[in-house]
Amino acid sequence: MTAQDAPENALEVSRRTFMANATIAIGGIVGVVLAVPIVGSLIPPKNAAAGSWAPLTAQELDMLQKATDKPVKLTFTLKFTDGYLPEQSAAEYVWGIKVDPAKFQAARPDIFTQAGGKPNVDYPVVNMGFVVFSPICPHLGCYYNWSDAQNRFMCPCHGSQYTLDGTHVAGPAPRGLDPLPLREQSGQAEVTWIVYQSNTPQRIVVSYQA
Amino acid sequence: MLNWIEQRTGFVSMAKDFLTEDVPGGASYWYVFGSATLFAMIVQIVTGIFLTFFYAPSAATAWESTRAMYLNPYTHFLLAVHYWGASAMIALVFLHLLQVLIFGAYKSPRELQWVVGVLLLLVTLVLGLTGYLLPWDMDAYFASQVSLNIVGLAPIAGPVMQHIAQGGGAMGTATINRFFGLHVWLMPAVLVLLVGAHLAIFRHNGSAGPVVEDRRTLRPGPFWPDQFFMDGAFSLIVFVIICFLAFALPPYLDAKADPTKFFVPYPAWYFLSLFGLLALVPPIVHLGPLEIGTELIATIIVPTLFLLAVLFIPWLDRSRTRSFASRSRLLWIATIVVCVIVGLTVYGQATTMIKQAAAPASPPESVVLAATTENAPSAGSPGSGAGSQSSSPTNASGAKVFSANCATCHGAQGQGLPGTFPPLANNPVVTGDPNKVIGILINGLHGAISVNGQSYNGQMPAWKGTLSTKDIGDVITYIRGSLGNNHASAVTQAQVSGYKP
Repeated sequence: MTAQDAPENALEVSRRTFMANATIAIGGIVGVVLAVPIVGSLIPPKNAAAGSWAPLTAQELDMLQKATDKPVKLTFTLKFTDGYLPEQSAAEYVWGIKVDPAKFQAARPDIFTQAGGKPNVDYPVVNMGFVVFSPICPHLGCYYNWSDAQNRFMCPCHGSQYTLDGTHVAGPAPRGLDPLPLREQSGQAEVTWIVYQSNTPQRIVVSYQA
Repeated sequence: MLNWIEQRTGFVSMAKDFLTEDVPGGASYWYVFGSATLFAMIVQIVTGIFLTFFYAPSAATAWESTRAMYLNPYTHFLLAVHYWGASAMIALVFLHLLQVLIFGAYKSPRELQWVVGVLLLLVTLVLGLTGYLLPWDMDAYFASQVSLNIVGLAPIAGPVMQHIAQGGGAMGTATINRFFGLHVWLMPAVLVLLVGAHLAIFRHNGSAGPVVEDRRTLRPGPFWPDQFFMDGAFSLIVFVIICFLAFALPPYLDAKADPTKFFVPYPAWYFLSLFGLLALVPPIVHLGPLEIGTELIATIIVPTLFLLAVLFIPWLDRSRTRSFASRSRLLWIATIVVCVIVGLTVYGQATTMIKQAAAPASPPESVVLAATTENAPSAGSPGSGAGSQSSSPTNASGAKVFSANCATCHGAQGQGLPGTFPPLANNPVVTGDPNKVIGILINGLHGAISVNGQSYNGQMPAWKGTLSTKDIGDVITYIRGSLGNNHASAVTQAQVSGYKP
């Protein structure tokens, strides 16, 4: 008789069953202990609550004040962090337009969706009589341009078009241009950066940096 | 000596057992695709291991370390072999799958071998997808963005999966690390385990052999050395093709990834059919009063259903024999599907080329590789095709002004729009009297004009006030010197400010 032969009695059966199950249980414990940190590590950290504010130049603000039927390209240096890398900065721009708040609110029902004409973003959209648009097309994230000839914002990627107040008028984009926060801080106008989810009718915050 | 080793390890008899497999009906070149796929996998593992000696996964180093590999002839060749080896492996997986499909070799008792094989195809495609991102150039970035956005489209789990794969809300350095881990460790480990299972099942059931009514009539032939030699000979052909392509057509490195620039990515050829499908269907289909968005259908639902159908072929094909006649319907469907996939691939390639022709040109690779890390060029900024001029700062700034202001109407290559906006490339007015060109930019142009016998009736805005005199000078220099075959003289800022009609 060898060890592999049929067990002789019930005691031997329960001993073997116990050892088999115990070995499986050991594997299970090791697996669970490793799975928790592995799965936990894969969940990305939340983005910072808000990005940094960057001042606009006095010259561009002046251009914005004088603007009537054209947007003004407002350039600034955006500070951002990418993962574990040291803080970086990049030249960015936004589009600024001068608006009549009441007219703008009427023109953009896709922003002022909440009760009492409140916007669907958690900051005031019209500040100092200006609205600032993210330069990112809400369709699939390309940078659009202003065309004087067409009197519209035009995206080179898939042909989405928007009027001066950011209303979506042509092409596949699911919503109008996204407004960005603008504030006045000790006499200087400052903007900050928000990236919204592309290709959704709603404005879902994706990140607060480039 | 062998005896001594055998007594202590059993390795010699193990190798003999493994090689002395009988092949029903004898060895055949029909059976070489599986082993050639295995061969390609080994090439990928060996080259891949050595590429990790030189690659550094992070947004600050991925492109830079890849560029360094391009600059060294040895690593460049290694990289090129890995690039073409991936294509070879995917092509061979498909050929192997087709051969098994045609022979009906998936039938009982080999259903699970088929299922594992389809999983291997999936893992290989994921390897191709994750490897595509690692160089972190413009193409890598934008092609991966498309695939990640498609993942995000998946119902319910899509956004979470995209978030986890990206390592955050947007692509960045975390994405490189995650794709690196997937491409270099997780997927190869899964691949090797699945290949082990695939081979174990193969040995358990033996070769399927040719399609015959009565298997007893088949004379068995030896696997070693007959089939082994055929496998080796075909693998050598595959290797020669890989090396030739690696030498003659090495992969291309674009400028470093820059999300703020516009770029039309070109998908790997094995994803072109999916791309073609997406390009073929209109984004919204009207079905009576219903408006149906097709993006989800084309990118997720159709490919998933197709994959499930392929996975369950052993159970969908209910014929009792492997004969071609009894499986004619399946074989016809397979033929049509292959034709459709080839057609979609051609269509995907054509649409990609049209889109690329309309996009701002990327700098040539020589410029990319010559640039230092600090002033890495990006697509759409330096004037391409301008030879030595492309590195001059005026031209780079002119190209920037052009793509930001002029390209919308005149086209990225200055090709114009028939009937409305005239071309700037090969336009005698552009390369003619510089004063006239300055005047058009400053004051705009209205009314019908004629260029090269074609008439145009668009509106050119006055750029005075929008562009600085320096920008106007730079952009005129750019359009006169760098579009199409234009090679006219540069225009200075002083000429612009001193403009008199």
